[in-house]
Amino acid sequence: MMRNTIAAAGFLAALTCLPGVIQAQQPAAPPAWAIGREGSGMAGTLAPHAPRLTVTPPAQLPLAAIRLPQGFTAEVYAHGMPGARMMAEGPNGTIFAGSRTIGRVYAITRNPDGTTRTRTLLQGLNQPNGIAVLDGNLYVIAINRVLRFDNIEQNLDNPGSGTDLTAAFALPTEEHHGWKFLTTGPDGRLYTNVGVPCNICDFNRDTHALLVSFRPDGSDRRIEARGVRNSVGMALHPVTRELWATNNGRDWAGNDIPNDTLHRVRRSGEDHGFPFCVGDWADPGAPSQRNCSEFVQPAALLGPHVAALGMRFYTGTMFPEAYRNQIFIARRGSWNRERLNGFDVVVAKLDAEGRVTAIEPFLEGLRDDANQRFLGRPVDVHVMRDGSLLVAEEQFGAIYRITYRQ
Amino acid sequence: MTLVAAALAATALFPAAAQDAARGAALAEARGCGGCHGAAGISEVANTPSLAGQPAEFITLQMILFREGLRQAAPMNALSQGLEDGQVEDLAAHYAALTPAAPPGRGAPDAALAERGQALSDRLHCGVCHLPDFSGRNQIPRIAGQREDFLRHTLAQYRDSQRRGTDTNMNAVMHGVTDAEIAALAHFMAQQR
Repeated sequence: MMRNTIAAAGFLAALTCLPGVIQAQQPAAPPAWAIGREGSGMAGTLAPHAPRLTVTPPAQLPLAAIRLPQGFTAEVYAHGMPGARMMAEGPNGTIFAGSRTIGRVYAITRNPDGTTRTRTLLQGLNQPNGIAVLDGNLYVIAINRVLRFDNIEQNLDNPGSGTDLTAAFALPTEEHHGWKFLTTGPDGRLYTNVGVPCNICDFNRDTHALLVSFRPDGSDRRIEARGVRNSVGMALHPVTRELWATNNGRDWAGNDIPNDTLHRVRRSGEDHGFPFCVGDWADPGAPSQRNCSEFVQPAALLGPHVAALGMRFYTGTMFPEAYRNQIFIARRGSWNRERLNGFDVVVAKLDAEGRVTAIEPFLEGLRDDANQRFLGRPVDVHVMRDGSLLVAEEQFGAIYRITYRQ
Repeated sequence: MTLVAAALAATALFPAAAQDAARGAALAEARGCGGCHGAAGISEVANTPSLAGQPAEFITLQMILFREGLRQAAPMNALSQGLEDGQVEDLAAHYAALTPAAPPGRGAPDAALAERGQALSDRLHCGVCHLPDFSGRNQIPRIAGQREDFLRHTLAQYRDSQRRGTDTNMNAVMHGVTDAEIAALAHFMAQQR
């Protein structure tokens, strides 16, 4: 019953935000993701890959294909959750996972025997990708909808419809790049993103292409970074407390340009360059040309079209010391590239000053270069309290757990 | 490398073993799907789509959207309740395996209207996603030979934001397209094949 109520409300929310889509489009324009395709010289049949929205039996998961560095092992932690994406953990160890197309939030609990139980906690929401737990309360950001579910781990079988904080957060309403990443900071604030409602276009740089933070009630909005095209992954450094974020580069500029990027936010409000520059590359498709030295340079280049999404600092002790405070990054994998790129998890290695010294492979084997197919799309990572690493895989709706033994 | 290759063979993007067209045919019979969509998946009912030869992924996605209340289209929301994911995949495999054909009552082509529709299709790049023969792929439906009234209805729904796909691409494509243009586009597509 409660789930039906949420479903109906989610549909209404979807309807009410559609006018925003229309405003963002010119009459008879190509779809937003295709703007810039004309004249790009890239294969005209390139299009985003659709997710699988039905349950994949565990025996069909590509566990055997996963390759990890020496000493690491992957196991299936949870499965049967179509479209599972961004993760957050409750104080009692419940893992929550958001989604996009299928509109669900999942909850995964551990049984006494060590196996896991998955529930569809919420459904019918419009791309509830933003998931965070703060003080035992679950925050969910769907497109133009912010909900809080108090004491969620005491209410997994009856979450209710939540407290609607949409008006307080007053996020932009566009559907395109309107899905959110959400995380918490040690300052008790919620950190999220506002993507740009297009591939590349002239837009309001005070309202879009931002990293923003709020108090949990939606007040005190602060712009953490400008000119970040569409970040779907961020985390605060466990020692310096600086905000770091991944960012998706734009499409149709070529198979190898631009790169997706990793950003380090040293001071709130600085400009990271979109739509004008990615690093020292001045985008010829930008509304005007600017000198790239005006902008904060990315901390690292993460590869062209890889869709670098969820990222977390490794704060556990199970993995070798070399991983401590390094960044695990899920690269969901390309669509706007004639040869596949990404579909893996990498580690950004930082030196003592927080400079990125290397991007190293970590989880591989899901990209089949010979046949140009993929076996999975890692979308988020999460460090559990025992130091193991969860990897959410969207295409087949599974979460893998990676452990290390010497 | 051998291990990886073996895994590849077992796990295609959409594992074939999960779908069974024969089970889907039995389920379609039991559920009476053919009453509206036609016994062979060729619809003879106004504003009801033909499903024969649709990509399995397209049918699966739409059925999930119906079941989850993410796409509202009576009576499909009610009819899809209680279907397990595996049943949805079986239904999709069944309809994907049927041979597409134009509905029996398809009218004669209007050359001038079809020509306008073709020009519009070129302008809107329909063939990029739906493929040049409009047979569809993956989550993108076959529109060649679809019922003209259904195409008109659907295109207007996309234009008027009454329907979305798995994303908002079609809403963006159809924005600002007039009723007369939709009529031409629908006629052109319905007359393909």
